[in-house]
Amino acid sequence: MIFLFEGEPVEAREGQSVAAALIAAGVRSWRIDEAGRHKGALCCIGYCFECRCRIDGEADQRACMTEAKAGMRVERQQGLC
Amino acid sequence: MAPSIIIVGAGPAGLAASIEAVRQGAKVTLVDEAQRPGGQIYRQGSPKLAECGVAEAGELRRKKRLLEAFDRVRERIDYRPGTSVYALFGPRELHIAAGDRTEVLGADAVVLANGVREVALPFPGWTTPGVMYAGGAQSLIKAQRTLPGRNVVVAGSGPLPIVVAAQILRAGGKVAAFAPLNKLSEGARHLAGLWHGRGIVLEGLRYLATVMKARVPRHTGHVPIRALGTERLEGVVLAKLDAAGSVVKGSEREIVCDALAVNYGFAANSELAAMAGARMRCEELIGGWLPEVDAFGRSSLPGIFVAGDVAGLRGALVAEAEGRIVGAAAASTPSFLTASGLGRSFRETIEERRRLGEFQNVVRAMLRPPRTLWSVADDGTTICRCENVTLADLRFAFSAGHLAANTIKRATRAGMGWCGGRTCLPMISALAELHAGATPTAMMTPRPLARPVALSALAGQTREGQ
Repeated sequence: MIFLFEGEPVEAREGQSVAAALIAAGVRSWRIDEAGRHKGALCCIGYCFECRCRIDGEADQRACMTEAKAGMRVERQQGLC
Repeated sequence: MAPSIIIVGAGPAGLAASIEAVRQGAKVTLVDEAQRPGGQIYRQGSPKLAECGVAEAGELRRKKRLLEAFDRVRERIDYRPGTSVYALFGPRELHIAAGDRTEVLGADAVVLANGVREVALPFPGWTTPGVMYAGGAQSLIKAQRTLPGRNVVVAGSGPLPIVVAAQILRAGGKVAAFAPLNKLSEGARHLAGLWHGRGIVLEGLRYLATVMKARVPRHTGHVPIRALGTERLEGVVLAKLDAAGSVVKGSEREIVCDALAVNYGFAANSELAAMAGARMRCEELIGGWLPEVDAFGRSSLPGIFVAGDVAGLRGALVAEAEGRIVGAAAASTPSFLTASGLGRSFRETIEERRRLGEFQNVVRAMLRPPRTLWSVADDGTTICRCENVTLADLRFAFSAGHLAANTIKRATRAGMGWCGGRTCLPMISALAELHAGATPTAMMTPRPLARPVALSALAGQTREGQ
């Protein structure tokens, strides 16, 4: 199954989270915070909110809690939105 | 009429409490954030992903037995997966969110069984993507069948880093280095604990054997002092600290890696108990601020019970035994809660909890980090990741006399971001002690919302009976 990260195809397995699929694809950063720092997964179970990104246009979605779906559009989130 | 009970958390404590409360005839609602029951220790991946065999057979047997027991009563439980509790107001008013809906529930009793979370060490660069909690890395392996990286360094205190290093190897990954803080023999001094926990000790030794057989370079006493890379982790510098917390000259080891899994302790998810107004106590090694409870898990508030690690870190076996005791207590009339009112099997479960609890002395000896460990943070190190508060910001607040969590928060914004302080508060407490000699006097007052909730979800709120 394929979804898009920043417009590029990323392979994911059925049932895998967006965060896990990105990590497996070698991607580590999918947010740039208000201080301009790159952020990725930290707790991987949903409480730290570090892995927020934009999924299908909606900001602040947790990559670790969202199951990857074919055709999903995942984008790096920057700053406050 | 059957009492109504809401149980928060579907790990070993919450599942055992649910099973027992149903058996006692109670009407049970079980609320859990994950999509499937099991909590962190018995976390289940999507059924679409193949089962993974990285855990010890004993653990897998315990997991299977508990999940099967839960399956047998599941139809009689109002089970709500994928649901967060964002507030608990006295008396027993629980606010929950699932997707784009929120709801307010009430019950005769509430059992909080929502466990602990991990504590990291704030070293320079620890916000670099690729640095994650050891338990987080473990959840990627267990639930996602995904390795946290191609070349992983595992560092930390206590037993979890050993388990995670072994599981990375068993899943086919590479561990570039393993840096346990304390000598693994530290725990061996507590013979009674070793004996009562012998099953778990054996499992731990088998994990250790996996790590040793793979000839993973071991750096005992080393801690990460610097992460390398900006967009992604490229390496880590490990070093030994002296008693004052300074790097021992010549002990630095630079290791190339693309993931670093760290764990330096646990903090209880006790915000809901505190929000409801339960009396709290502080015991750092077993989770920091904890609700005060009696042998039946009763907090200082009527009808609010606490079970498992959130009442003090003691592990999955204690949590399951305690869940059973507290589930029965929550479903019973007060007369149950006397020694004479207890059936024999409950007296046995209480004794089992005591015996298993002895094992925690072993774990605690392995966990104990020296306070000077937190010297790895320098002035530029981010402490509150959500609000970008650095150690320099915190030290400025300390020097202005802000030493309690509440005033530190007001002065710096630390703890006010998305995670609600879950990540930084235990570290701030340690840093306030290290840099200003402050001892913890009060927990940061937990404010609703305990989890971020969209306004649209709050606007669509429903209340039971409406």
